[in-house]
Order: sequence, then C-alpha cells, then structure tokens
Amino acid sequence: MSDPKISMADLEHIAKLARINLSEPEKKTFLPQLESVLEYLDVLNQANVENIEPTYRVNDQKNILRKDEVAESFNQKTALSSAPKTQDGYFTVPQTIKK
Amino acid sequence: MDLKSLTISQIQELLFSKQISAVEIVKFYLQRIKKLDPQIKSFITVTEKEALKQAENIDNRIKKGESVGKLAGAVMAVKDIFLTKDIQTTASSQVLKDYVPQYSSTIYQKLINEDAIVIGKTNTDPFAFGGSTENSGFFTTKNPWNLSKVPGGSSGGSAAAVAADFCQFALGTDTGGSIRLPASLCNISGLKPTYGLNSRYGITAMASSFDCPGVFAKNVSDLALVTEITAGIDPKDATTINNPVPNYSQILGDIDLKKLRIGIPKEYFIDPINIEVKEKVMKAAKLFESNGATLVDISLPSTKLGIAVYYILVPSEISANMARYDGIRFGRNTNNNPDITSYYMNTRGQYMEAEVKRRILIGTYALSSGYYDAYYTKASKVRTLIKNEFTNALKNVDVILAPVSPTVAWDIGAKANDPLQMYLVDAFTVCINVAGVPSVALPCGFDQTNLPIGFQLIGNFFEEAKILSIAHQYQQITDFHTNTPNL
Amino acid sequence: MKITPIIGLEVHVELKTKSKMFCSCSAEHFHVDPNTHTCPTCLGLPGALPVPNKTACEWCLKLGLALGCTPNESSFFERKNYFYPDLSKGYQLTQYEKPFVVNGKIKVGDQEVRINRAHMEEDTGKSVHIKDNSQELTLIDYNRCGVPLVEIVSEPDITSPEMAKDYLLKMQQIIRYLGISDADIEKGSMRCEPTVNLKIEKDGQEFFTPLVEIKNVASLTGVQTAIDFEIKRQTEAFNQTGEVKSKTNKNTYGWDADKNQTFLQREKEGSSDYRYFPEPDIPHIEFTKAEIEAIKATIPELPDQKIERYKKDFALNDYDANLLASDFSFSQAFEKAIGQNPESAFVKFTANLFLGAIKTYLNESQKDLDINKINSKYFKNLFDSVSKSEISATVAKQVIVESYYIDQDPVEIAKNSGLIQVSDSSEIAKIAKEVINTNPKAVDDYKKNPASIGFLIGQLMKASKGSANPKLAKEILEKLLN
Ligand SMILES: [Mg+2]
Ligand SMILES: [Zn+2]
Repeated sequence: MSDPKISMADLEHIAKLARINLSEPEKKTFLPQLESVLEYLDVLNQANVENIEPTYRVNDQKNILRKDEVAESFNQKTALSSAPKTQDGYFTVPQTIKK
Repeated sequence: MDLKSLTISQIQELLFSKQISAVEIVKFYLQRIKKLDPQIKSFITVTEKEALKQAENIDNRIKKGESVGKLAGAVMAVKDIFLTKDIQTTASSQVLKDYVPQYSSTIYQKLINEDAIVIGKTNTDPFAFGGSTENSGFFTTKNPWNLSKVPGGSSGGSAAAVAADFCQFALGTDTGGSIRLPASLCNISGLKPTYGLNSRYGITAMASSFDCPGVFAKNVSDLALVTEITAGIDPKDATTINNPVPNYSQILGDIDLKKLRIGIPKEYFIDPINIEVKEKVMKAAKLFESNGATLVDISLPSTKLGIAVYYILVPSEISANMARYDGIRFGRNTNNNPDITSYYMNTRGQYMEAEVKRRILIGTYALSSGYYDAYYTKASKVRTLIKNEFTNALKNVDVILAPVSPTVAWDIGAKANDPLQMYLVDAFTVCINVAGVPSVALPCGFDQTNLPIGFQLIGNFFEEAKILSIAHQYQQITDFHTNTPNL
Repeated sequence: MKITPIIGLEVHVELKTKSKMFCSCSAEHFHVDPNTHTCPTCLGLPGALPVPNKTACEWCLKLGLALGCTPNESSFFERKNYFYPDLSKGYQLTQYEKPFVVNGKIKVGDQEVRINRAHMEEDTGKSVHIKDNSQELTLIDYNRCGVPLVEIVSEPDITSPEMAKDYLLKMQQIIRYLGISDADIEKGSMRCEPTVNLKIEKDGQEFFTPLVEIKNVASLTGVQTAIDFEIKRQTEAFNQTGEVKSKTNKNTYGWDADKNQTFLQREKEGSSDYRYFPEPDIPHIEFTKAEIEAIKATIPELPDQKIERYKKDFALNDYDANLLASDFSFSQAFEKAIGQNPESAFVKFTANLFLGAIKTYLNESQKDLDINKINSKYFKNLFDSVSKSEISATVAKQVIVESYYIDQDPVEIAKNSGLIQVSDSSEIAKIAKEVINTNPKAVDDYKKNPASIGFLIGQLMKASKGSANPKLAKEILEKLLN
C-alpha cells in the first residue's frame, strides 16, 4: 500500500483554512475516511487527458451581463432580520483588529 | 372524498367542476400528514396556516369567477433547501435551525404565482449532502414502502412525501442523483432537467456547476405540467438559458416509439448492479423494443471515472459555497469567542454536520496549493471526456436507457459509517450531472421483497420534451407507477 | 554600497457605476445608513447568485485600453477564498488567470512604468471598531460590499518614492479623464498598496532584500513617506541580518500614519492559500473586436497628447500646457473658450484668464467650472477690446469672472460700469484742463520738478473714474503744462 495521502498535520491545516474546529474524536474518524476517499480518487490516473480542455461550466453561454440599473434593496431591518447579533444598524463580530 | 393517488389534472377537474374546494383538498393532505408522517418523517415543517390561506384565496376567486393560476389546487412539498420567504428554511442542518429567509427562490415563487399550494418543507441530507437523508441534522426519513429502509436522497423527504400521498408533486434538487435516486427507491417519477433549465436562485448552493432543481410527481404528465412552469431564463441566475419553454404537457404524444433508437450503455449494466435491478431495467428496454423501438448497444467508457470527478469538483465548489455560513448575517453562532478566528472555527465546528465538514475538508484539500492541478484541473478535463461521450453517443441514438440505483432501497444505517460506500450509490447517476444532460427517472418494477426499482431515460441538452414524451408513453403501456405503498 | 529601490504599485479604483458589480443595489456608500444598500447577493445570503454589471466590465476594459493594455480574448471571474467578516460570501469574485486586460504602460515624467494587468473585482464592506462597555466589537456595514473595483498592477519599474507619487497622480489623472471614478485617495475611491524591496550592490555583489507589501496607506503623502520609511528600514535590516529575498519571505506591513512608520502585519505571504478557482455561477466574458473598437472610440484625448497639442498648436509653454491639461473639465472649458480662434495671441490671452482670474475665482468660491457658462464669443470680444486698449488688462480680469457669473458679454459689463478706456484726446484734454486749474500747487511743484507729474496724472485718472488711457493722459498734461 502506498504512503498515506493525508497526514494529521494536513488535516489540521485544511481544517484551519476552512475555519472548522475539529474535536480530537472527529479528527480520528475523519482522517481514515478522507484517506480512503483520496485513494479512490486515484482512478483518475487511468484517464488520458492530453490536450483536453477543462470543462468549468457544462453549457457554453457567454457574456451574460446585467444593465447598470439600480433596483430596490432591503431596508435595514430586513437586512439584519436573521442576524444573531446586531447593533445600531450594523452586524457585529468580535474585534477583528489585534493590537 | 378520497383523493389518494390522484394526479394534478384529476384533482383540478374535481376543483373546477366544483365537486371539491381547494380547502378540502388541503385538509385531505393535512390529515394524511398528521396521521402518517410521524412514522415516515418526510416533513421538517408543515405549512398548515399558509396552505389553508392560499386555498381559501383560490376558492374565493373560483367563486367570484375570477381567473386562477395553471396549478390551482395542486399541492406541493418543497425540499427544505429552497428558500421560502417568511417560512423557516433549515436545509436540514443545525447551521440554519430556525432560519427564516428574507426572500424566496425563483422557481418556488413561479409555482406560487400559478397557485400551487405549499403544504410543507421536506427533509434532506444537510444542504443536500448525501444519498439517504441519514445525514440530516434532524432525523432520517423512512421509505414508505418499508419503514426500515432509506428513501434515498438527498431529496428523500420530497420523494417520500409524494410516494406517501402527502402532496401531488414535490420540489427537489439533483446534483449527483438526488432526485432520480429517491424517485426510483420510492416508486415515483422524477426529472433532473438539463443544467440551466431551472433557476438555482434562492436554493442553498451545493455545487454551482452541477445543481439542477427539479420535480417529483406520481407520473410523467405531472412532471411535464410542473416543469413547463418552473423552466426558463431567470435574470438572477446567469447560468439559465434563454430558450423558449415548450408546453411539455401538450406534446407528450409526439414521439413515435417505432422510429426510436434507444442506447443501452454496457457500463451501466455491470458491477455494482444488483441482478434483480438489471433484470427489471432490461425488461423495460425490451418492452420498448417490442413496441417497435430499436435497442442499440453503446459504450460510455469514462463512466468508471464519474464518481472520482464528482467527488473532486463537487466538494471543491462546496468548500467555497459553504464559506458564507459563518454565523454573522444569518444562521446560528457561538458566543464568548475571544477573536474572530475562534468565532468562525467554533461556530462552524459546532453546528455543521459530519458530512458537511467532510466535504468541505475534501474540497479545501483539492483546491489547496500544490494539489490544484492534480485534482481540480485533472477532474475538469475528465469532465470534458465524460460530456463528450454523452453528446457523441446521443448523435447515434435518441435516448440512453440505464438503471438509476445499483440496488433497491437499503437498510437505514447500513452505509452510514462508510462515506465512500455511500458515495458509490450514485455510480449510475453522477455522470449525467457531470455532463449536464437531462434525465427522467421512472418506476419499472419491484424486487422479491416488493421494493421499487427504477430506470432513467437520458437525453441530449434541453431535450426534456423528448425524454418526457418517451417516458410518458412507457407509462401508457405499464402500471408500475400507479402502485402505492400500503400505509 | 549602492541601493536601488524596486517599487511596484497595486492600485484599486472604485468605479462610479449606478449599481454594484454583481447585484442591483446602489453602489453609493458615503453617508448612507449602514446596511441599507444590501440584498441577498451582496449580503451573501443562502442561494443568492451574482450577475455581472455590463458597464463596470466595459469601464475596466476602457481603462485598460487607455493604459495601452491588450484585452484577453476570453476572460472569466474566479473565487478568491478567505474568511473576513467584511467579505460576505467568504470569497471575493475577482479575475486571476484571465483578467480583462494585460501588458500596458504609462509615462511618468520621462520614465515608463509597465502595467502588468488591470482586472475587475468587487469591494468589501466597511468595519467599524468600537469599545462597548469594556467589550471590544467590530461593526460591519455591507453597503460597500460588492461595489465594482478595478485593480491595476504595475511592474516593479518605480525607483523612488517621488516617482511612486507621480505614478499615482498620472493614474488618477487618466482615470478622471475617462470619467469612470472620482479616484479620490482621501475618500478611499482610489487605494494603493506599494510592494517594496531593494537592490543592494555591495563589494561587487548584488543582493535583493525581502519583498514587503505595505497596506492601508490612505493619502498621497502617506504613500511617499511609507515607501521612504520602508527603504530606510530595509537598508538597516539588511545591514543587521543580511536577509535576502526568497520564495517564502514576502511580508505584509501596515502603515501607521500617526507614528509615521510601518509595522509587521502578516509574515510569510506564501502560507495564506486563496484556493482560486473559476466562478461557476458566471459564464465567460468575451468582447468582440467591434465592441473593443467601440469602447476605444469613447476614450477622450489623454493628458500627454493634450499637452503636446497645446504646445504645438497654441504655442503655449510647457508649464501653462500642463496646468491647463491637469483637470479634464477645466481643459474642456478652456478649449470651448478658444472655440475656432487658434491665433496664439488670443489663446495666450485666454490661457492667462483661465490660469489667473478664473482659477482664483473657482478656488475661492470652491465651485466646479460649469462648461455650459463658457462662451467663446465673450472671450473673443474681450480680447479685441483689450487689443484696441478700450479695456485694460486689469479690467479684463474683473469682467471675465462677472461675465461667467451672470452670463453676459464682458465688454457690455465694462461699458455699463464705465470701465471703458477713453483714448479720445479732446475728451482727456478737457479733464486735464480742469485738473490743472483745480491743482495750482501741484502745477508749481511740476514746474520745479517734472518728475512730480505723477500726482496730476493720478488726479486725472480719478476724475475720469479710471477710464482714461494713462499713457495719453501723461502726454496731454505735459503738452498743456509746457
Ligand atoms: Mg484585489
Ligand atoms: Zn446587493
């Protein structure tokens, strides 16, 4: 069996990139699961994609653009209506600047 | 009056001939839901108040002889990832528990504008990440044909609701099989349209280049009726196509089976297919043949790569689409976080279900520096191969016939702890999403344990009219779709 | 030890379109109540989708063409993934692999700065940091989130803080000529992130110090002083540590305008991983040759060409030409005033009025020049009467402003307020005689000392309410007195 595709350190790194806090048990469950999925993905090595263009969207439309016109926006109350925490018409989060 | 297993047109006849009122129709379904849904658990929210209000409004207009919408009297269930203004929308995730959206999804609104009545919001895997509803942040929906089995997923709640006669049609989404799989495990009809036929606006995004909103119904003619309302360009979704929308329901008889060339792709009749499933699907093919159609053996060699392409590209898009669930503008949050990073990490860590986390992690890994070309770029190129194989095959045949699920409905819990095994149930559905072509799933029999088996008819881009017409004629010469579970 | 600064600039410009980049909310965000210009798309609500603003895309292309860039045949948006509360979707829509335009250049002084690319993206929301009963919070306003931004990336061809400033001024001037943005650095509609390092030649060897990107510089002088500071800091750092540039040691420094110094914000740029990938929600954008030509055609004469033309066609000196061309609408007004009369005396006369009286008036009144109130005929008439010395240069300066103000022929104005110079000898002689009769003492003085005639001239001018031609007045007095 080939050496593992993903280490615990990798897992912790991508969890940080994705801003997801993982408990220790979660890490232990996920690591082998991700490993087996990533191993499975090796089947792609069978494919010959020499000078094949990638497909990012299945239908080949182009230039779907909007006219520069203003439509009605939410009022402040609606904009904030589903937010867990607001103040004076703003959304609020913990201080983002560290000093 | 017993409305059980009546279709939209049958119900509308009763409504317009004043043999029944819209309110009575709604009450019939509400009663069934109250009585039977506690065992099946297809609904997260039953919109009794809204449904009765809509019904009264329709009845008043009928009384006054005013005009009503094309779907007046038709009762629908809506997958809980469609945003419904002022009606709780949870996406079956703890992340959105109690979330009440400020706006509605485009195709839900189109249906409401035609007087379709919303009876409730249905269970799904969280954000549609799954194939059985077992990943739901709230509960697992049971298969109405056997309560110990999964209904399939992710749109399992919608499929179960139609199969159990809690509504006449339901909205779902199909990113890798999430309409066709539950449709065939629950013995109903489901349409995964061409990518870009139905607007995605206002539906929580899973994989933006794959997601296809679509419909479940008791038969193909109802699929056609609803799809001619939902289809068409949406200025708010730049990937919808500006084609004229055919009156699908008016042209269901147009295809002549005798002139039909049906492709049978060998890669769809091998392992992991179950022998009974293979038998019944081939029987459907033979029935077309005995009615004059020609069966053509074809090959889609890249089929075996579909799952891999899917589980690279879809999680990659998911990892970005899920970034907005940060507990700042909507959704739940966690408190007492010393800084913004812990606010993100704790909020997302606490409320996201395991499968949501897994897919975000896979996608983040595939896109992260050093891996991008090996995974994302490679998969996007193989996507081209798969797409070309379909369009080339469909130059020689009118339509491709294939199984939907390799097996009948499986036991709840059987695959729950092995993500990869769960991913493989989509073996015969994902490639259609990878390519973007349309496919309709419909019943074609039962196994010895009386569990439903379905097959799919796959057409070329925007050939919904063709595949619906073929599927409809199949339902004219078979009655599998009229069988209902006894509850 | 020889030190050469290597400076590249990333400039972000906020376009003044009516609506935002990917939704139809108003793009206005100054003095607007927080979160009132928001919708599902710019709030990043579940299920919301982006649809790009056509005008914004065309303006990005237009700017690129004005900077001599080449359009890409096919462009697309990509998702730049990172978490920050002012970024509602958790990714910024920008262009990475295929920006709208690439490879341009602009002249800065007598040097050239190459433009690497200009691409379209979206702005983020605004954060307000407060202390609320001992708890420190950040408040977020998404009105600015999704406003169109063009990012212009230069090659590191800038070699001094002054040149960086001139580059920005030139960029600002071009953008304003195109009328696509206020490009106001203080207001934040034009922002700049310098990337600085040094080439150090020391005992026959070449060293390159680590790259430093300087963030949150909010003024022109800020840019200059920040780069200046960095050059000194990097020189010292090199002398102490000798650390040189590597793939991994690009750092981000912040500019502290109060302390006038940069401070380390984020180390190891290499470790922040944006995971770019093509935006699936937006189809590719391809401008046809015809569309590109059509947009080219809307680009006005740019400052460099204009200055050359002023010097060549109007024989204006370099200084005046630059001043007149510095502001687009000002130069437009000047050209309207000249109208169809390019003879250099008239042009020079008009230029002086614009750079003198009119500029002063505009500065004092804090008003913008209204080109509709500029009437070429007025300027011509005024010029003619001045050449016929009916009107003095001084009077011309007064009446041109009033003429602009009340929209009336300046010569009329001069007449009505009796400011026309009298050059009729008999008329002046009459007044001169009076002055002589009423000022016997001054006449005696003159007899003793001819130099004292100034007083009598003064009296004469007074009696004529300043309208007498002074030269003539002197001659006639002298004739009468001798
Ligand atoms: Mg940028
Ligand atoms: Zn908006």
